[in-house]
Amino acid sequence: MNKLKAAVSYEYLTKLKAVGIFYIIEYLCVAFILSIVAISTGGKEIGSNVLEVSSIIFVSVVGVLGYKEDFKALLQNGYPRKYIFGATICMFALLSGTMAFIDTIIGNVLHHFYRTYFTLFGSLYGYGNLFANWLWLTVLYLMFGSLFYLAVLVIHRAGKMQSLFIGIGISGVILIGFSVFRFVLPDEIVRSVAVFVIRVMGFMSDGTTNLIFPVLSFLVIGAVFESISYAVIRRTEL
Amino acid sequence: MNAIQIKNITKRYKDVTALDDVSFSIEAGKIYGFLGRNGAGKSTLINIISNRIFADEGEVLVDGIAAKENMAVHDKLFCMSEADLYDGDLKVKEHFKWTGRFYDGFDLDRALDLSRKFNLNINKRFRALSKGYQSIFKLIIALSLNVPYVIFDEPVLGLDANHRELFYRLILDAFENGGRTFIIATHLIEEVANIIEEVVFIDDGKIILQESVEKLLEAGYSVSGMAGEVDRYCQGRNVIGCDMLGNLKIAYVLGEKAALPQGSHLQITAINLQKLFIKMSEKGGVENE
Repeated sequence: MNKLKAAVSYEYLTKLKAVGIFYIIEYLCVAFILSIVAISTGGKEIGSNVLEVSSIIFVSVVGVLGYKEDFKALLQNGYPRKYIFGATICMFALLSGTMAFIDTIIGNVLHHFYRTYFTLFGSLYGYGNLFANWLWLTVLYLMFGSLFYLAVLVIHRAGKMQSLFIGIGISGVILIGFSVFRFVLPDEIVRSVAVFVIRVMGFMSDGTTNLIFPVLSFLVIGAVFESISYAVIRRTEL
Repeated sequence: MNAIQIKNITKRYKDVTALDDVSFSIEAGKIYGFLGRNGAGKSTLINIISNRIFADEGEVLVDGIAAKENMAVHDKLFCMSEADLYDGDLKVKEHFKWTGRFYDGFDLDRALDLSRKFNLNINKRFRALSKGYQSIFKLIIALSLNVPYVIFDEPVLGLDANHRELFYRLILDAFENGGRTFIIATHLIEEVANIIEEVVFIDDGKIILQESVEKLLEAGYSVSGMAGEVDRYCQGRNVIGCDMLGNLKIAYVLGEKAALPQGSHLQITAINLQKLFIKMSEKGGVENE
Protein backbone atom coordinates (compact mmCIF):
# COMPACT_ATOMS: atom_id res chain seq x y z
CA MET A 1 0.00 0.00 0.00
CA ASN A 2 2.92 2.33 0.79
CA LYS A 3 4.31 1.72 -2.68
CA LEU A 4 1.00 2.69 -4.27
CA LYS A 5 0.87 5.79 -2.06
CA ALA A 6 4.39 6.71 -3.20
CA ALA A 7 3.38 6.30 -6.86
CA VAL A 8 0.21 8.39 -6.39
CA SER A 9 2.22 11.10 -4.59
CA TYR A 10 4.79 11.08 -7.39
CA GLU A 11 2.17 11.44 -10.10
CA TYR A 12 0.18 14.09 -8.21
CA LEU A 13 2.94 16.23 -6.70
CA THR A 14 4.98 16.39 -9.91
CA LYS A 15 1.90 17.91 -11.63
CA LEU A 16 1.18 20.59 -9.01
CA LYS A 17 3.82 22.97 -10.33
CA ALA A 18 2.29 22.75 -13.80
CA VAL A 19 -1.15 23.40 -12.26
CA GLY A 20 0.23 26.51 -10.53
CA ILE A 21 1.76 27.80 -13.77
CA PHE A 22 -1.50 27.04 -15.62
CA TYR A 23 -3.58 29.10 -13.19
CA ILE A 24 -1.11 32.00 -13.08
CA ILE A 25 -1.12 32.23 -16.89
CA GLU A 26 -4.89 31.75 -17.10
CA TYR A 27 -5.72 34.44 -14.56
CA LEU A 28 -3.13 36.85 -15.92
CA CYS A 29 -4.87 36.51 -19.31
CA VAL A 30 -8.28 36.92 -17.64
CA ALA A 31 -7.09 40.01 -15.76
CA PHE A 32 -5.70 41.46 -18.97
CA ILE A 33 -8.91 40.80 -20.93
CA LEU A 34 -11.04 41.98 -18.00
CA SER A 35 -9.22 45.30 -17.74
CA ILE A 36 -9.43 45.98 -21.49
CA VAL A 37 -13.13 45.05 -21.72
CA ALA A 38 -13.97 46.78 -18.45
CA ILE A 39 -12.32 50.03 -19.65
CA SER A 40 -14.02 49.92 -23.05
CA THR A 41 -17.50 49.06 -21.66
CA GLY A 42 -17.33 51.19 -18.56
CA GLY A 43 -17.26 48.13 -16.28
CA LYS A 44 -20.50 46.60 -17.63
CA GLU A 45 -18.83 43.54 -19.23
CA ILE A 46 -15.78 41.48 -18.26
CA GLY A 47 -15.19 39.60 -21.53
CA SER A 48 -14.62 36.09 -20.09
CA ASN A 49 -16.91 33.26 -19.11
CA VAL A 50 -16.81 29.54 -18.23
CA LEU A 51 -13.09 29.43 -17.52
CA GLU A 52 -13.55 25.79 -16.52
CA VAL A 53 -13.21 24.91 -20.22
CA SER A 54 -9.49 25.79 -19.94
CA SER A 55 -9.24 23.40 -17.00
CA ILE A 56 -10.89 20.68 -19.08
CA ILE A 57 -8.21 21.19 -21.74
CA PHE A 58 -5.52 21.15 -19.05
CA VAL A 59 -6.69 17.87 -17.45
CA SER A 60 -6.91 16.38 -20.94
CA VAL A 61 -3.25 17.28 -21.49
CA VAL A 62 -2.45 15.74 -18.09
CA GLY A 63 -4.33 12.65 -19.28
CA VAL A 64 -1.90 12.38 -22.18
CA LEU A 65 1.16 13.07 -19.99
CA GLY A 66 -0.15 10.56 -17.43
CA TYR A 67 0.82 7.92 -19.90
CA LYS A 68 3.80 9.41 -21.67
CA GLU A 69 5.87 10.50 -18.67
CA ASP A 70 4.61 8.65 -15.63
CA PHE A 71 4.18 5.23 -17.22
CA LYS A 72 7.84 5.20 -18.23
CA ALA A 73 9.08 6.61 -14.92
CA LEU A 74 7.11 4.14 -12.80
CA LEU A 75 8.03 1.21 -15.02
CA GLN A 76 11.68 2.23 -14.56
CA ASN A 77 11.05 2.05 -10.83
CA GLY A 78 9.74 -1.50 -10.98
CA TYR A 79 5.99 -0.91 -10.75
CA PRO A 80 3.65 -3.42 -12.38
CA ARG A 81 1.05 -1.99 -14.74
CA LYS A 82 -1.92 -2.46 -12.43
CA TYR A 83 -0.17 -0.27 -9.82
CA ILE A 84 0.72 2.32 -12.47
CA PHE A 85 -2.88 2.36 -13.67
CA GLY A 86 -4.23 2.66 -10.11
CA ALA A 87 -1.79 5.47 -9.31
CA THR A 88 -2.71 7.36 -12.50
CA ILE A 89 -6.45 7.19 -11.84
CA CYS A 90 -5.90 8.31 -8.23
CA MET A 91 -3.78 11.20 -9.55
CA PHE A 92 -6.56 12.18 -12.00
CA ALA A 93 -9.09 12.11 -9.14
CA LEU A 94 -6.87 14.20 -6.83
CA LEU A 95 -5.93 16.66 -9.55
CA SER A 96 -9.54 16.96 -10.73
CA GLY A 97 -10.65 17.58 -7.16
CA THR A 98 -7.98 20.21 -6.61
CA MET A 99 -8.69 22.06 -9.85
CA ALA A 100 -12.45 21.80 -9.37
CA PHE A 101 -12.00 23.33 -5.90
CA ILE A 102 -9.99 26.26 -7.28
CA ASP A 103 -12.39 26.76 -10.19
CA THR A 104 -15.45 26.57 -7.93
CA ILE A 105 -14.09 29.16 -5.49
CA ILE A 106 -12.72 31.57 -8.10
CA GLY A 107 -15.72 31.14 -10.43
CA ASN A 108 -18.21 31.88 -7.69
CA VAL A 109 -16.20 34.81 -6.34
CA LEU A 110 -15.98 36.28 -9.87
CA HIS A 111 -19.72 35.80 -10.32
CA HIS A 112 -20.38 37.42 -6.96
CA PHE A 113 -18.55 40.59 -7.96
CA TYR A 114 -19.36 40.54 -11.67
CA ARG A 115 -22.86 39.28 -12.36
CA THR A 116 -22.07 39.10 -16.07
CA TYR A 117 -19.53 36.34 -15.42
CA PHE A 118 -20.97 32.81 -15.59
CA THR A 119 -19.38 29.60 -14.46
CA LEU A 120 -20.00 26.39 -16.41
CA PHE A 121 -21.90 24.82 -13.54
CA GLY A 122 -23.75 28.05 -12.65
CA SER A 123 -24.93 28.64 -16.20
CA LEU A 124 -26.54 25.15 -16.17
CA TYR A 125 -27.72 24.66 -12.60
CA GLY A 126 -27.53 28.05 -10.94
CA TYR A 127 -25.41 29.30 -8.05
CA GLY A 128 -25.39 28.72 -4.31
CA ASN A 129 -24.50 25.04 -3.90
CA LEU A 130 -20.69 25.14 -3.79
CA PHE A 131 -20.30 21.47 -2.86
CA ALA A 132 -22.43 20.31 -5.82
CA ASN A 133 -20.50 22.69 -8.07
CA TRP A 134 -17.18 21.20 -6.89
CA LEU A 135 -18.36 17.58 -7.16
CA TRP A 136 -19.85 18.08 -10.63
CA LEU A 137 -16.66 19.72 -11.91
CA THR A 138 -14.48 17.02 -10.28
CA VAL A 139 -16.22 14.14 -12.05
CA LEU A 140 -16.35 16.12 -15.31
CA TYR A 141 -12.56 16.72 -15.20
CA LEU A 142 -11.96 13.10 -14.20
CA MET A 143 -14.00 11.92 -17.17
CA PHE A 144 -11.98 14.04 -19.61
CA GLY A 145 -8.66 13.01 -18.04
CA SER A 146 -9.69 9.35 -18.41
CA LEU A 147 -10.84 9.88 -22.00
CA PHE A 148 -7.51 11.35 -23.10
CA TYR A 149 -5.54 8.77 -21.11
CA LEU A 150 -7.41 6.08 -23.05
CA ALA A 151 -6.84 7.93 -26.32
CA VAL A 152 -3.06 8.12 -25.87
CA LEU A 153 -2.90 4.47 -24.77
CA VAL A 154 -4.76 3.41 -27.89
CA ILE A 155 -2.51 5.59 -30.07
CA HIS A 156 0.60 4.06 -28.49
CA ARG A 157 -0.71 0.52 -28.83
CA ALA A 158 -2.16 0.80 -32.31
CA GLY A 159 0.60 2.87 -33.90
CA LYS A 160 0.26 6.11 -35.84
CA MET A 161 -1.41 4.86 -39.02
CA GLN A 162 -3.93 2.63 -37.30
CA SER A 163 -4.71 5.40 -34.79
CA LEU A 164 -5.35 7.75 -37.69
CA PHE A 165 -7.83 5.28 -39.18
CA ILE A 166 -9.46 4.77 -35.77
CA GLY A 167 -9.77 8.56 -35.40
CA ILE A 168 -11.27 8.93 -38.86
CA GLY A 169 -13.61 6.01 -38.12
CA ILE A 170 -14.83 7.50 -34.83
CA SER A 171 -15.31 10.94 -36.43
CA GLY A 172 -17.26 9.30 -39.26
CA VAL A 173 -19.47 7.37 -36.85
CA ILE A 174 -20.18 10.57 -34.86
CA LEU A 175 -21.05 12.55 -38.02
CA ILE A 176 -23.24 9.77 -39.41
CA GLY A 177 -24.82 9.32 -35.97
CA PHE A 178 -25.75 13.00 -35.83
CA SER A 179 -27.12 12.93 -39.38
CA VAL A 180 -29.18 9.82 -38.66
CA PHE A 181 -30.39 11.34 -35.42
CA ARG A 182 -31.29 14.63 -37.09
CA PHE A 183 -32.75 13.52 -40.43
CA VAL A 184 -33.50 9.77 -40.46
CA LEU A 185 -34.92 8.72 -37.12
CA PRO A 186 -38.62 9.40 -36.40
CA ASP A 187 -39.37 12.49 -34.31
CA GLU A 188 -40.64 10.37 -31.46
CA ILE A 189 -37.34 8.53 -31.05
CA VAL A 190 -35.36 11.78 -31.39
CA ARG A 191 -37.50 13.36 -28.71
CA SER A 192 -37.10 10.34 -26.40
CA VAL A 193 -33.31 10.43 -26.78
CA ALA A 194 -33.25 14.19 -26.16
CA VAL A 195 -35.38 13.75 -23.03
CA PHE A 196 -33.07 10.96 -21.84
CA VAL A 197 -29.99 13.18 -22.29
CA ILE A 198 -31.75 16.04 -20.48
CA ARG A 199 -32.60 13.72 -17.56
CA VAL A 200 -29.04 12.37 -17.52
CA MET A 201 -27.86 15.96 -17.16
CA GLY A 202 -30.16 16.26 -14.13
CA PHE A 203 -33.07 18.34 -15.51
CA MET A 204 -36.30 16.76 -14.28
CA SER A 205 -39.72 16.93 -15.90
CA ASP A 206 -41.10 19.01 -13.02
CA GLY A 207 -38.53 21.74 -13.63
CA THR A 208 -36.27 20.79 -10.73
CA THR A 209 -32.66 19.65 -11.03
CA ASN A 210 -31.21 16.43 -9.66
CA LEU A 211 -27.42 16.66 -9.55
CA ILE A 212 -26.93 13.01 -8.65
CA PHE A 213 -27.78 12.01 -12.24
CA PRO A 214 -25.06 14.02 -14.02
CA VAL A 215 -22.49 13.16 -11.36
CA LEU A 216 -23.29 9.45 -11.67
CA SER A 217 -23.37 9.68 -15.47
CA PHE A 218 -19.92 11.28 -15.65
CA LEU A 219 -18.61 8.73 -13.18
CA VAL A 220 -20.01 5.82 -15.20
CA ILE A 221 -18.68 7.20 -18.51
CA GLY A 222 -15.29 7.81 -16.84
CA ALA A 223 -15.33 4.26 -15.43
CA VAL A 224 -15.97 2.87 -18.93
CA PHE A 225 -12.95 4.79 -20.29
CA GLU A 226 -10.86 3.63 -17.33
CA SER A 227 -11.89 -0.01 -17.76
CA ILE A 228 -10.88 0.04 -21.41
CA SER A 229 -7.64 1.84 -20.45
CA TYR A 230 -6.86 -0.90 -17.94
CA ALA A 231 -7.46 -3.58 -20.55
CA VAL A 232 -5.06 -1.75 -22.89
CA ILE A 233 -2.34 -0.87 -20.36
CA ARG A 234 -2.18 -4.47 -19.07
CA ARG A 235 -0.76 -5.41 -22.45
CA THR A 236 1.21 -2.25 -23.10
CA GLU A 237 4.96 -2.61 -23.52
CA LEU A 238 7.62 0.04 -23.13
CA MET B 1 15.73 -20.77 -4.82
CA ASN B 2 17.91 -17.65 -4.92
CA ALA B 3 18.30 -17.08 -8.61
CA ILE B 4 16.78 -15.55 -11.69
CA GLN B 5 15.46 -18.40 -13.80
CA ILE B 6 14.73 -17.73 -17.44
CA LYS B 7 12.53 -20.49 -18.76
CA ASN B 8 11.87 -21.05 -22.47
CA ILE B 9 11.53 -17.37 -23.31
CA THR B 10 10.49 -16.59 -26.87
CA LYS B 11 9.82 -13.10 -28.18
CA ARG B 12 8.78 -12.27 -31.73
CA TYR B 13 8.39 -8.92 -33.49
CA LYS B 14 6.26 -9.54 -36.58
CA ASP B 15 8.47 -11.91 -38.61
CA VAL B 16 11.63 -11.44 -36.50
CA THR B 17 12.34 -13.81 -33.62
CA ALA B 18 14.26 -11.68 -31.12
CA LEU B 19 14.56 -14.47 -28.55
CA ASP B 20 14.15 -18.11 -29.41
CA ASP B 21 13.34 -20.49 -26.56
CA VAL B 22 15.97 -19.02 -24.24
CA SER B 23 16.56 -20.83 -20.93
CA PHE B 24 19.27 -20.29 -18.33
CA SER B 25 19.74 -19.32 -14.70
CA ILE B 26 21.48 -16.41 -12.99
CA GLU B 27 22.70 -17.49 -9.58
CA ALA B 28 22.68 -15.11 -6.62
CA GLY B 29 25.93 -13.52 -5.48
CA LYS B 30 27.82 -13.29 -8.77
CA ILE B 31 28.73 -10.65 -11.33
CA TYR B 32 27.48 -11.63 -14.78
CA GLY B 33 28.47 -10.26 -18.14
CA PHE B 34 25.73 -10.27 -20.73
CA LEU B 35 27.50 -10.17 -24.05
CA GLY B 36 26.19 -10.09 -27.56
CA ARG B 37 26.35 -8.08 -30.75
CA ASN B 38 23.91 -5.30 -31.57
CA GLY B 39 20.47 -6.81 -32.09
CA ALA B 40 21.48 -10.13 -30.54
CA GLY B 41 18.59 -9.93 -28.06
CA LYS B 42 20.32 -8.69 -24.87
CA SER B 43 18.11 -5.67 -24.30
CA THR B 44 14.98 -7.63 -25.23
CA LEU B 45 15.83 -10.21 -22.58
CA ILE B 46 16.67 -7.53 -19.99
CA ASN B 47 13.37 -5.78 -20.74
CA ILE B 48 11.48 -9.05 -20.26
CA ILE B 49 13.28 -9.78 -16.96
CA SER B 50 12.41 -6.29 -15.70
CA ASN B 51 8.76 -6.55 -16.83
CA ARG B 52 9.03 -3.75 -19.39
CA ILE B 53 8.00 -5.93 -22.28
CA PHE B 54 6.29 -9.32 -22.31
CA ALA B 55 7.51 -12.64 -23.60
CA ASP B 56 5.32 -14.44 -26.13
CA GLU B 57 6.20 -17.72 -24.44
CA GLY B 58 8.00 -18.80 -21.29
CA GLU B 59 8.47 -17.14 -17.93
CA VAL B 60 11.01 -15.44 -15.70
CA LEU B 61 11.23 -16.33 -12.01
CA VAL B 62 13.06 -14.16 -9.48
CA ASP B 63 13.82 -16.18 -6.34
CA GLY B 64 11.03 -18.50 -7.42
CA ILE B 65 8.50 -15.68 -7.90
CA ALA B 66 7.05 -14.95 -11.33
CA ALA B 67 8.50 -11.61 -12.47
CA LYS B 68 5.68 -10.66 -14.83
CA GLU B 69 3.42 -7.98 -13.35
CA ASN B 70 4.32 -8.90 -9.79
CA MET B 71 4.84 -6.29 -7.07
CA ALA B 72 6.58 -8.94 -4.94
CA VAL B 73 9.57 -8.63 -7.28
CA HIS B 74 9.74 -4.82 -6.89
CA ASP B 75 12.26 -4.82 -4.03
CA LYS B 76 14.29 -7.69 -5.46
CA LEU B 77 15.33 -6.39 -8.83
CA PHE B 78 16.36 -3.07 -10.39
CA CYS B 79 17.26 -2.43 -13.98
CA MET B 80 19.37 0.55 -15.01
CA SER B 81 18.41 0.94 -18.63
CA GLU B 82 20.13 2.52 -21.56
CA ALA B 83 16.87 4.26 -22.49
CA ASP B 84 15.98 7.44 -20.62
CA LEU B 85 12.82 6.67 -18.69
CA TYR B 86 13.19 9.38 -16.06
CA ASP B 87 11.18 12.60 -16.03
CA GLY B 88 13.48 15.15 -17.66
CA ASP B 89 11.93 18.08 -15.79
CA LEU B 90 12.82 16.79 -12.33
CA LYS B 91 16.10 17.71 -10.67
CA VAL B 92 18.60 14.99 -9.77
CA LYS B 93 17.99 15.52 -6.03
CA GLU B 94 14.23 15.23 -6.60
CA HIS B 95 14.77 11.92 -8.41
CA PHE B 96 16.82 10.72 -5.43
CA LYS B 97 13.99 11.72 -3.11
CA TRP B 98 11.39 9.86 -5.18
CA THR B 99 13.57 6.76 -5.56
CA GLY B 100 13.78 6.73 -1.76
CA ARG B 101 9.99 6.72 -1.63
CA PHE B 102 9.70 3.95 -4.22
CA TYR B 103 12.33 1.63 -2.73
CA ASP B 104 12.88 0.72 0.92
CA GLY B 105 16.51 -0.12 0.19
CA PHE B 106 17.59 3.21 -1.31
CA ASP B 107 20.56 4.76 0.50
CA LEU B 108 20.25 8.53 -0.01
CA ASP B 109 23.54 9.30 1.77
CA ARG B 110 25.36 6.93 -0.55
CA ALA B 111 23.69 8.53 -3.57
CA LEU B 112 24.82 11.98 -2.42
CA ASP B 113 28.32 10.68 -1.69
CA LEU B 114 28.55 9.08 -5.15
CA SER B 115 27.28 12.29 -6.73
CA ARG B 116 30.21 14.12 -5.15
CA LYS B 117 32.65 11.45 -6.35
CA PHE B 118 31.33 11.69 -9.92
CA ASN B 119 30.96 15.51 -9.73
CA LEU B 120 27.27 15.21 -10.53
CA ASN B 121 25.37 18.46 -9.91
CA ILE B 122 22.27 17.33 -8.03
CA ASN B 123 20.54 20.67 -8.59
CA LYS B 124 20.43 20.16 -12.35
CA ARG B 125 17.39 18.82 -14.12
CA PHE B 126 17.80 15.38 -15.69
CA ARG B 127 17.14 16.87 -19.13
CA ALA B 128 19.96 19.40 -18.67
CA LEU B 129 22.59 16.73 -17.98
CA SER B 130 24.97 15.62 -20.71
CA LYS B 131 24.57 12.05 -22.03
CA GLY B 132 27.50 10.97 -19.88
CA TYR B 133 26.08 12.51 -16.73
CA GLN B 134 22.65 11.05 -17.45
CA SER B 135 24.37 7.64 -17.44
CA ILE B 136 26.20 8.57 -14.23
CA PHE B 137 22.91 9.60 -12.60
CA LYS B 138 21.37 6.24 -13.51
CA LEU B 139 24.45 4.39 -12.26
CA ILE B 140 24.32 6.24 -8.93
CA ILE B 141 20.67 5.26 -8.44
CA ALA B 142 21.48 1.62 -9.20
CA LEU B 143 24.56 1.56 -6.98
CA SER B 144 22.68 3.17 -4.08
CA LEU B 145 19.87 0.64 -4.15
CA ASN B 146 20.17 -2.30 -1.85
CA VAL B 147 18.25 -4.85 -3.92
CA PRO B 148 19.51 -8.42 -4.52
CA TYR B 149 19.62 -8.21 -8.34
CA VAL B 150 20.86 -5.17 -10.25
CA ILE B 151 20.94 -5.13 -14.05
CA PHE B 152 23.03 -2.59 -15.96
CA ASP B 153 22.20 -2.17 -19.64
CA GLU B 154 25.18 -0.48 -21.33
CA PRO B 155 26.16 1.26 -18.08
CA VAL B 156 29.17 3.25 -19.24
CA LEU B 157 27.59 4.84 -22.32
CA GLY B 158 29.13 8.32 -22.74
CA LEU B 159 31.40 8.02 -19.68
CA ASP B 160 35.03 9.09 -19.89
CA ALA B 161 37.83 6.68 -18.92
CA ASN B 162 38.12 8.04 -15.36
CA HIS B 163 34.43 7.69 -14.67
CA ARG B 164 34.38 4.21 -16.19
CA GLU B 165 37.23 3.16 -13.89
CA LEU B 166 35.40 4.66 -10.92
CA PHE B 167 32.23 2.77 -11.84
CA TYR B 168 34.05 -0.57 -12.10
CA ARG B 169 35.72 0.06 -8.72
CA LEU B 170 32.39 0.96 -7.13
CA ILE B 171 30.65 -2.08 -8.52
CA LEU B 172 33.35 -4.32 -7.07
CA ASP B 173 33.07 -2.53 -3.70
CA ALA B 174 29.29 -2.93 -3.75
CA PHE B 175 29.67 -6.58 -4.65
CA GLU B 176 32.19 -7.27 -1.89
CA ASN B 177 30.15 -5.42 0.73
CA GLY B 178 26.70 -6.62 -0.19
CA GLY B 179 27.09 -9.93 -1.96
CA ARG B 180 24.50 -8.83 -4.48
CA THR B 181 24.09 -10.07 -8.03
CA PHE B 182 25.09 -7.71 -10.80
CA ILE B 183 24.33 -8.28 -14.46
CA ILE B 184 26.24 -6.06 -16.87
CA ALA B 185 25.21 -5.95 -20.52
CA THR B 186 27.92 -4.19 -22.48
CA HIS B 187 29.91 -4.04 -25.68
CA LEU B 188 33.10 -3.06 -23.86
CA ILE B 189 34.11 -6.63 -23.14
CA GLU B 190 37.75 -6.05 -22.26
CA GLU B 191 36.79 -3.42 -19.68
CA VAL B 192 34.46 -5.75 -17.81
CA ALA B 193 36.53 -8.90 -18.34
CA ASN B 194 38.33 -8.39 -15.04
CA ILE B 195 35.24 -7.89 -12.93
CA ILE B 196 32.72 -10.39 -14.28
CA GLU B 197 32.70 -13.94 -12.99
CA GLU B 198 30.40 -15.51 -15.50
CA VAL B 199 29.52 -14.70 -19.09
CA VAL B 200 26.33 -15.28 -21.01
CA PHE B 201 26.82 -15.00 -24.78
CA ILE B 202 23.69 -14.21 -26.75
CA ASP B 203 23.64 -14.41 -30.50
CA ASP B 204 20.68 -14.28 -32.85
CA GLY B 205 18.24 -14.59 -29.97
CA LYS B 206 19.86 -17.73 -28.59
CA ILE B 207 22.21 -18.39 -25.70
CA ILE B 208 25.32 -19.76 -27.31
CA LEU B 209 27.33 -20.08 -24.13
CA GLN B 210 27.10 -19.62 -20.37
CA GLU B 211 30.35 -20.24 -18.57
CA SER B 212 32.59 -18.84 -15.84
CA VAL B 213 35.20 -16.46 -17.21
CA GLU B 214 37.95 -18.49 -15.55
CA LYS B 215 36.91 -21.76 -17.18
CA LEU B 216 36.29 -20.07 -20.47
CA LEU B 217 39.73 -18.49 -20.59
CA GLU B 218 41.28 -21.79 -19.51
CA ALA B 219 39.43 -23.63 -22.23
CA GLY B 220 40.15 -21.16 -25.00
CA TYR B 221 43.52 -20.74 -26.70
CA SER B 222 44.98 -19.76 -30.02
CA VAL B 223 47.38 -21.74 -32.20
CA SER B 224 49.51 -19.88 -34.70
CA GLY B 225 51.96 -20.96 -37.36
CA MET B 226 52.07 -22.00 -40.97
CA ALA B 227 48.61 -22.65 -42.32
CA GLY B 228 49.10 -26.33 -43.14
CA GLU B 229 50.63 -27.12 -39.77
CA VAL B 230 47.84 -25.27 -37.95
CA ASP B 231 45.20 -27.12 -39.97
CA ARG B 232 46.75 -30.47 -39.10
CA TYR B 233 46.82 -29.56 -35.40
CA CYS B 234 43.21 -28.39 -35.47
CA GLN B 235 41.79 -31.54 -37.01
CA GLY B 236 39.16 -32.98 -34.67
CA ARG B 237 39.26 -29.94 -32.37
CA ASN B 238 36.59 -27.33 -31.66
CA VAL B 239 37.86 -24.43 -33.77
CA ILE B 240 35.71 -21.35 -33.24
CA GLY B 241 37.48 -19.08 -35.69
CA CYS B 242 40.60 -18.30 -37.68
CA ASP B 243 42.63 -15.31 -38.87
CA MET B 244 45.00 -15.42 -41.83
CA LEU B 245 48.03 -13.27 -42.50
CA GLY B 246 49.72 -14.39 -45.69
CA ASN B 247 50.75 -18.01 -45.06
CA LEU B 248 50.45 -17.55 -41.33
CA LYS B 249 47.31 -18.75 -39.67
CA ILE B 250 45.89 -18.25 -36.20
CA ALA B 251 43.19 -20.69 -35.11
CA TYR B 252 41.08 -20.08 -32.03
CA VAL B 253 40.25 -23.31 -30.25
CA LEU B 254 37.98 -24.27 -27.40
CA GLY B 255 38.87 -27.36 -25.40
CA GLU B 256 41.77 -29.01 -23.64
CA LYS B 257 45.18 -27.98 -24.84
CA ALA B 258 46.98 -30.89 -26.48
CA ALA B 259 50.76 -31.02 -26.49
CA LEU B 260 52.36 -29.76 -29.68
CA PRO B 261 53.90 -32.41 -31.93
CA GLN B 262 57.68 -32.80 -31.67
CA GLY B 263 59.59 -30.37 -33.84
CA SER B 264 56.49 -28.29 -34.32
CA HIS B 265 56.84 -24.61 -35.13
CA LEU B 266 53.39 -23.86 -33.80
CA GLN B 267 52.82 -21.47 -30.94
CA ILE B 268 50.05 -21.72 -28.36
CA THR B 269 48.95 -18.55 -26.58
CA ALA B 270 46.13 -17.60 -24.27
CA ILE B 271 43.05 -15.96 -25.76
CA ASN B 272 41.30 -12.97 -24.24
CA LEU B 273 37.57 -12.70 -23.64
CA GLN B 274 36.98 -10.13 -26.37
CA LYS B 275 38.67 -12.25 -29.03
CA LEU B 276 36.76 -15.28 -27.82
CA PHE B 277 33.50 -13.36 -28.04
CA ILE B 278 34.27 -12.03 -31.51
CA LYS B 279 35.17 -15.45 -32.83
CA MET B 280 32.18 -17.13 -31.25
CA SER B 281 29.81 -14.55 -32.67
CA GLU B 282 31.28 -14.88 -36.18
CA LYS B 283 29.00 -17.81 -36.83
CA GLY B 284 31.37 -20.69 -36.51
CA GLY B 285 34.50 -18.89 -37.56
CA VAL B 286 35.02 -16.84 -40.64
CA GLU B 287 38.50 -16.82 -42.00
CA ASN B 288 39.80 -13.25 -42.08
CA GLU B 289 42.64 -12.22 -44.29
